[in-house]
Amino acid sequence: MKKILSILLTLVMVLTMVAACGGGDTPAEEEAPAEEAGEAAEDAADDAEEVADDAEEAEAGAEDGTFKIGIMPKLMGIPYFESTGEGAIQAGEELGVEVIYNGPTKADAAEQVKMLEDWINSGVDAIAVAPNDSAAMEPVLQKAKDAGIIVLDWDTPTESDLVDASVRQIDNQTLGERLFDNLVKVMGKEEGNYAIVTGGLSAANLNTWIDFGTEYAAEAYPGLNLVTEKIPSDEIQQEAYTKTLDLVKAYPELEGIIGYSTVAPLGVAQAIRELGKQDEIAVVGTATEEDSQDFLSDGSLDIATLWDPARLGYLTVGVAKALLEGQTLEDGMEIEGFGPIELQGDNIIIMGPPDDYVAE
Amino acid sequence: MGKFNDTLSKYRTEKNLIIIFIISFAILGMLRPSQFLTLSNISSMAYQMPEFGIFTLGMMAIIMTGGINLSIVTTGTFIAIISALIMTSEFAVNSPILGIIVGLIVMIVMAIVTGCLNGAFVAYIGVPALLGTLGTSSLFQGIGLNVTKGGAISGLPSQFMAIGNNDILGIPIPMIIYIVVIIFSHYFLMRSVFGVHLHMVGSNPRASEFSGIDIKKVIMKAFIYSAFMSALAGMVMTARYNSAKVDYGSSYMMQAVTAAVLGGTDISGGTGSVAGVVIAVAIIQVVTTGLNIIGLDRNLVDISIGLILIVVLTLRHFSEVSKNKKLIEKRRASS
Amino acid sequence: MLKNILKKKEFTIFLMIIIFSLIVTVLNSNFLKIGNFVDIAKGNVVYGIMAFGMLVVLISGGIDLSVPANITLSSVICGELLVKTGLSLFPIILVCIVVSGLVGLINGILITKAKLPPFVATLGVNSIIMGLVLYYTRGSMITGLPEWFRDFGVMRLLQVGDFNIPIQVVFYIVAAFITYFVLRHTVFGRGVYAVGGNPLNAARVGYNVDQITILIYVFSGFMMGLAAVVNTSVLQGVNPNTYAGVDMTVISIAVIGGASTLGGVGSVLGTVLGTLLMGVLQNGLIMAKISSFWQEIIMGIVILVAVSADIISRKREQAKLVHVDVDESEEVL
Repeated sequence: MKKILSILLTLVMVLTMVAACGGGDTPAEEEAPAEEAGEAAEDAADDAEEVADDAEEAEAGAEDGTFKIGIMPKLMGIPYFESTGEGAIQAGEELGVEVIYNGPTKADAAEQVKMLEDWINSGVDAIAVAPNDSAAMEPVLQKAKDAGIIVLDWDTPTESDLVDASVRQIDNQTLGERLFDNLVKVMGKEEGNYAIVTGGLSAANLNTWIDFGTEYAAEAYPGLNLVTEKIPSDEIQQEAYTKTLDLVKAYPELEGIIGYSTVAPLGVAQAIRELGKQDEIAVVGTATEEDSQDFLSDGSLDIATLWDPARLGYLTVGVAKALLEGQTLEDGMEIEGFGPIELQGDNIIIMGPPDDYVAE
Repeated sequence: MGKFNDTLSKYRTEKNLIIIFIISFAILGMLRPSQFLTLSNISSMAYQMPEFGIFTLGMMAIIMTGGINLSIVTTGTFIAIISALIMTSEFAVNSPILGIIVGLIVMIVMAIVTGCLNGAFVAYIGVPALLGTLGTSSLFQGIGLNVTKGGAISGLPSQFMAIGNNDILGIPIPMIIYIVVIIFSHYFLMRSVFGVHLHMVGSNPRASEFSGIDIKKVIMKAFIYSAFMSALAGMVMTARYNSAKVDYGSSYMMQAVTAAVLGGTDISGGTGSVAGVVIAVAIIQVVTTGLNIIGLDRNLVDISIGLILIVVLTLRHFSEVSKNKKLIEKRRASS
Repeated sequence: MLKNILKKKEFTIFLMIIIFSLIVTVLNSNFLKIGNFVDIAKGNVVYGIMAFGMLVVLISGGIDLSVPANITLSSVICGELLVKTGLSLFPIILVCIVVSGLVGLINGILITKAKLPPFVATLGVNSIIMGLVLYYTRGSMITGLPEWFRDFGVMRLLQVGDFNIPIQVVFYIVAAFITYFVLRHTVFGRGVYAVGGNPLNAARVGYNVDQITILIYVFSGFMMGLAAVVNTSVLQGVNPNTYAGVDMTVISIAVIGGASTLGGVGSVLGTVLGTLLMGVLQNGLIMAKISSFWQEIIMGIVILVAVSADIISRKREQAKLVHVDVDESEEVL
């Protein structure tokens, strides 16, 4: 019986501690060492009650008209989606809505669907998801719709008829073409051999950009020659680095590399820096301004192209709020705290053209 | 009463797990009564649990042989991709029911083939299960990538989608599949002759060889069972998400090991209980869903699952020690 | 002499490397250039160092799945120390080794005192530590390392034509020698093999099994700490999202190199060859200009073939031994 009791106690401790930390969201609370947990169990229980109280307040808030908006990235813990999260949370504070920003720790569509289902049950007013896979979201979006929840996609479109709005950082085609224009600009000529290093072979948005780009290149720059299939780097800088070293040796005639995903261009640039081929091989790709500065400075990365992720997060929350207030989307309409938006079709919002980052 | 106590102590792992389940449920229910304790939340958990549970059962059977199966998820997605291809092909569009039937037949055939492949490497050549299944996993994923070029296969017949998203008399169809699988697995792994052999091979391969058991055959059968579970879970996933893609469910791999071990499966082989695993799956489901609803950062959810695993297994060990001590004392006292 | 070499357990895998290299060379003669092998070395020493830690654990019959979290933790600490303090190289290495050693200590204690199976203990520790690191760092990258560390990262010794030794390879060689020495020439090392062969017998012979087991995981931790610093010097920055799943790569290397997941068997030479095979394989697939969509399939097939060939040749060897009735005192290395 003692054992059962001890199991009980530990479990209560673990759960309440974790719950309390999550509710309070103050890392300090979490540092309570496990050994003290026994004594802390009572405190934890108190904390848990507080959390429960908070929750009640939150619900009461909702009745006052505070909207609860769930924003889900593809995964947590990578710089890009941390920045979008900061933007989203900032928007929550400034616009007076409750923003939940959470997602799986692996880029897995199955986990996203589960978490979305849980959110639907937790009573959010709007959901915005950056799907790891567009097709997989259809059934869960239908469930959300049935529950009367406003549904958006952001970052990567679901291409579903169900979404009330689709917030896109850029037009996929524009970005796909821009990267090739940049490549040609850096190479200084419209012909030559190039390679593609991508995040993963099954990453839908990267594949879209690559497809748009290669189609465009076939028309606009027929002299460009892709030496081999796109090379995957599993979103790991080390992989992109070693594979670029190998690429350059396998294809000595290489004159340009395009890196897709926010990690791959950095690994590519690092290999180019090490080889000292900054002037011989043009490197362009999608990377955040902050991460690419270092490589831009010596020309190992020539042009990085992206958008401000924090603004994307902000815009998504803004649009969700506008929809919750019953506004209809119109081209040029003002989004609180963001400015006017560009509308494509009925419900596709384009944040703006991508930004090019070059050496300062 | 004495007999009742005997049964209880025989199923102490399961009993303790049920207590943990009830407590987790109660705590989370208390924290978020208006969201957690709703019919819709319970029904959505019932939709979520089956695919994970079925994968875990497949994992458990291999762990019982003393091995591990790192290809459970890739086998599932691989088979799902091929079946989905058939179900979305031209002839299936014209006659969806026939398409689904052919798709399911292909699924069964492929489950046997992939299971045999794993089994051949592990049982007959003697490759360590960890590495053999890692190799086949990479193989299956590679073929899946080649077939799909990294994209998703969608547009499956609506009749097939119903498997993942409809219910019969209020019970979700995935749940019904799961229950059937549980009952079958219980008899197959715990009660059948094969089940007895499985336990023996896992706990003492040498002794079982001397007692005339064909170890290779037992391991082979376990891998075929495991592949079937993967295929079923893959199909449920495909039906639920209305599409098939190589990286669906990639996070289930290590979660399945965690759930299997939490459910009382001995990682070095021999012991395992279908009931225990089913309860462990339910615990993980309830905890993740509950913490999701609370809005806890996903990294902290991972941490709590890790903590539960370590704490429960440590306590299980110490309760085992104290039980043995009591037994020894009892014997001493009686002698 | 030749016979002895042929008899070595490592010979099968060595043969695999040669065969694969020949095929790639036919497809692209650039493969055989010295510069390419220098790149392969630099690109794979991190996995190699980690594999030494895993090797010791595997020999003892255990497994260490906390590898990804452990190297992530140390990498983040290494990056922070480089950016925020004026510490020089060796103190930083020391701190990283100690931190990772402590994680190993936690593993060891859970395994010996709480009697958790290594698989479970290290799996749990991995998810807890990885979760904590990602929660606190928010996964953000650490860049802007000091100039001296960058120069250190691209340092090359003995530059003669295309040939040179990247500084990271020096660390690899040191790690290899330490592991070799520890396994072959210390009481602890003999204890590792003894525990892996049969823990009960080891205890009977007088080894303190618990102590040895704890030390094994601490040693594995040391290697992860060292690997973290070396990797930071290769990548010139820290990205906490790099290491998920690296445990399987490392285990594959050790097992391909002849270590058994059942314990008792494994050698430094084998692990070196295992690292080389994995490195040559990855490099060769690109050098041979094979489509990315086929690379994973070929990778899977090669792993399966390499391990199967090794197992089959060992089985034959054993059958022969039994047949001739020679004693089994074969060298482990």
